[in-house]
This record gives sequence, structure tokens and C-alpha cells, in this order.
Amino acid sequence: MAKELIVAISDKDFELLRDFIYNICGMYFHISKKYFLESRLARRMDATGVKTHADYYLLLKSPRGTEELKYLMDEITTNETYFFRNVPQLNAMENKLLPEIVEAKNKMGFRKLRIWSAASSSGEEAYTMAMILLEKRATLLKDWIIEIVGTDINETVVAQAKEGVYNAYSVRNIPDMYKRKYIREDNGKFILAPEVKKFVTFNKLNLYDDSKMIFMKSFDFIFCANVLIYFDTASKSKVVQHFYNNLQPYGYFFVGQSESLHGVNDKFKTVHFPGGFAYKK
Amino acid sequence: MEKTQLIEKAEQLVAKIEDLPTIPAVANQVLQLLDQPDVEIEQVADLMLSDQVMTARVMKMLNSPVYKPASEITSLKRALVYLGLRHIRELALTTSFISAFEHDAGAFNITDFWEHSFGVGMVSKIIAAKVGYRDQEKAYISGIIHDLGVVFLSTFKRDDFLAVLDSIKDRPVKLADEEIKIFGTSHCEIGFCMARKWNFPDVYCEVIACHHDPEQAAIDPILCAIVNLADLFCGVRELNYGGREWVSFNLYEEPAWQVLRKEYPELANLDVERFCYELDDAIPDVKNLVSSIFNTNP
Repeated sequence: MAKELIVAISDKDFELLRDFIYNICGMYFHISKKYFLESRLARRMDATGVKTHADYYLLLKSPRGTEELKYLMDEITTNETYFFRNVPQLNAMENKLLPEIVEAKNKMGFRKLRIWSAASSSGEEAYTMAMILLEKRATLLKDWIIEIVGTDINETVVAQAKEGVYNAYSVRNIPDMYKRKYIREDNGKFILAPEVKKFVTFNKLNLYDDSKMIFMKSFDFIFCANVLIYFDTASKSKVVQHFYNNLQPYGYFFVGQSESLHGVNDKFKTVHFPGGFAYKK
Repeated sequence: MEKTQLIEKAEQLVAKIEDLPTIPAVANQVLQLLDQPDVEIEQVADLMLSDQVMTARVMKMLNSPVYKPASEITSLKRALVYLGLRHIRELALTTSFISAFEHDAGAFNITDFWEHSFGVGMVSKIIAAKVGYRDQEKAYISGIIHDLGVVFLSTFKRDDFLAVLDSIKDRPVKLADEEIKIFGTSHCEIGFCMARKWNFPDVYCEVIACHHDPEQAAIDPILCAIVNLADLFCGVRELNYGGREWVSFNLYEEPAWQVLRKEYPELANLDVERFCYELDDAIPDVKNLVSSIFNTNP
């Protein structure tokens, strides 16, 4: 790849672009990621022939901006996912949210847990959940039915998810205890144990398809990371409303790190925990 | 348990400690001077300048991006004019508190403790500004001193306090609840007793006592609610004592949120998510301030 000239971004331009991206996409760029943003902007400025950050900002605000923003988001979000990606979220689920839901459902005598990874890509997030819950089969989740559903619009990644074979990058964050139990290495490939796979089903689903979305019912946890950032506000509201409807009254909805639903849905309430937050009805 | 019982128990606990830290000499003289009628700012400034450490700390606390003064404060006298006489007392007391516990916070890493305290000071001031609370300096100072009782337990009841911390590790349990189980009282009431011993103004004593239950406050429930919320936010955004307490809260169900919402209905429009992310961005400022106050390496 040709080396782009990286123009240092001023604090003012950084704030302009950060606020623009936040307001349109709902993703917040932390100041610690300034240099990362700078280098990715350089690629887009090179591709569009724009010379300054201020001009690039004007381009984003122009009628051509909608299309350009999609390219920019592709540059600044890493599409590759991996196991145990959002550790604060997983800790919150294990420490508090899961025990809380289990208690509520135990009282009702309804021992079934449903989890949805709503942009499951190659399946890492859904399988991470499966591993964590599998560890609780002898204790908290004894005699519980566990259903984990992964959906994605892209059939290729759905097929990959079903296969359950990964590269070193995907598995690098898996704690040793889980890795020893549920991952087998074979010739540089990392193969997921069948006992994990059996908890998860994967399907193709377009989050924008109302006729399908209304059937995704009664989930206790819904995860949807780094997808809503691609939708415009109206589409975002529509999709989030489906998540809202499909979530149990005591359930939790999670978005990605640095994402925000502010201004998208005013019914969800934030529940905070160390390093993150979730949404609740 | 009733608050009065908790305070009674805290009084007994504090009374048993023989080597309680005292207010440094110069700070004490400043406080006495402030008690005199018709005191001039120049007199106070001259006296404070005889304590270089106190002067440097006051300047650092006010000149940091954490506090965000409207313009740079270049001299102590300007700082005192900027703050007004009414805040000098608290500032002298706050620097005394820092001096008393600067080398050792017992069970805690001292840096973690002060980063949390200044973090809560900063966030209290931000919330105060957002809602239009009249005295942002008061919110800042209240935040800095709110956990006076924690540093007491950590220093003078070190082993028992370590046991409390161990027992709550990674559990969604409130530190104050666990303290009551072990000590019969919590850092809120203990801090309240210490603050009274040191003659902190009543409103600050109340914040220390009620920073976990603002509904109990009588003098300034709004201030208590501000510090309570700031404390919660710092607890979930890396200014959390190095993760010693696993904090979790549903913002809309928090009494502090309801107290503030009632007084300032426009708070309903707060972009909570962005507020958290901006707080993450401000963490390096807090760390820099703490390291500069203690002259440790930045």
C-alpha cells in the first residue's frame, strides 16, 4: 500500500470530527485514539484528494458525505472480531447480571436462558458466551436450558461461524482455563469443541427486515456491537426498537465499546458497571 | 441501622485512636485568622505563603485542567481573590487532609486513593456546572474530601479493612454495607466524625456523612446528590481505587439522580454515554494532578 502523508490533526479538527462521527454514528472517539484516527483519516484524505482535515470535515458534511462516511467507518472500525473481546461486559454479566436474571427466572420456575449475538460475524462473541455459560452448568445453571443464537447478514461469515475453526488472532484473548478445555490446535488452526458448538445456532438475518425481526423473541441478553454505527438515525431507531421489544423485562442489551444509543431510543435505561454499561428496559 | 447509631459507633472508634493526625501549624493559623472579623485577603495570603508546600498544593489544585479555572491563576493572592474568602477555609483544611495522609493510606495505594478523590472532585464540579449548581468550588472540594473516612479505616484499621476489601472483591456489594458488618459503622460516619473534629464547615461534614445516601441530607441534599453521582461515575470509569470495589448502578433508580432530576428537570437530556466517555478522556488529567501534588514522577 502506498504510504500516505499523515497530516497531524489539530485539537480543534479532532473535536470537530469526533463530534461529527459521534452525532451521526453514535461512536465516541477517545482522545487516546487521536493518532489512530489521524492515520486512518490520512488514508481517506489520500483516496479523496482532500488536503486538510477541515476540508475533509466539509466533505463529510456535504451531500457526498453519507457515502464517504461509510468508507471512513470501514477504516476506523476493525471488522475482525475475537473471543473474549469486551472483558468488562463479560465480567459484569458473570458477576451481576446473569446471577440476577437466574434468580428472577428461578422464582418463576422458568429455567431457560436465551442469548442473541445480533451481528455474530464468524461467531466469536456467541461462542464466548457459550464457554462462559458452559462453566456454570454444574452450579448456577444446573438443569437450565441454554439457547444462544447468532445472526449476521453475511452468509459467508454465518458459514464460518457454523464451522467453528479459527486463526491465532481470534483466540489470542481466551483465558487459558477455557482454551485448554474448549480449543484444540491443529496445524495452526484452532478448532472449537463440539460441546461449545452445540449450544449455538447461526442464521442469516438482516436486522432491517421487520418480518424476520418480530420473531426474535424473549431474549435475556442481546449483544449488538459495531453495527448500528453504519445505520442512519431513523434506521437505528427502528432496529433498536426491535431489540427493545425482543428483550425480556429483566434482560440486558449491550452495544460495543465506545458506542452510544443517546438520541436513538429514549426507553432504554443505562446500567453502569466497571468499564462499561448496558441498557435495560 | 439508624444513622445516629452509626455515628455513635463511629465516634467511639475515632475516640480510641490516640495518634489521629492534626492540622498543620500554618493551616491552623490560617483558620484562626479567618475567624477574626475584617480579615484581609493579603494577611491570609502572607500567612499561607510561609508554608511553601501548602501554597504549591493550592496552586496546583486550582490550575489543573481538572479544575479548569476561567483564566490561569498565577499567584496565591490571585487564587484567594478568585476563590473568595469563603473558600479559603476549606482549601486550607483540604491541603491539611492531603498532608496528613500523603505518605501512607494504609491498606490502599495512596495514588489510587487520591486519584479517586480528585476524580470525584472533578466530576462533582462538572455535574455542578451542568445543572447550574451555584457553588462549583464547593462541589470540587466536597468531592476531594468525601472519602475522609476511607483513609481513616485504611490507616488505623488496616487489617480489618483489608479483610473487608478482600471480601467484596469482584462482588456487586457496597463497601459501606460490608464496613457496617465488620465495624458497626461505615466510612461515611467515620469521615463525618473526623471532619467535625477538624472543624470542617457543617455542609462539608454532611457531604462526607451522606455521600452514599443524599436523601438523608438536611443542609444541602443537592450537593450530596452531586457528590454521590460523581462517586458512582468514578467507580465505573477507572477512578475506582484500582478496582477494589465492584460498583454497579442503574442510573435512573439512583436516589441521587432522582434528587437532581427533581431540582433540575433538564438533566433528563444528559447524554449519559458521552458523559462517561468524556470522563475516560479526563482521567490522564486527574493522574497528572495527583502526581504533581505529591511531586511524584508524572
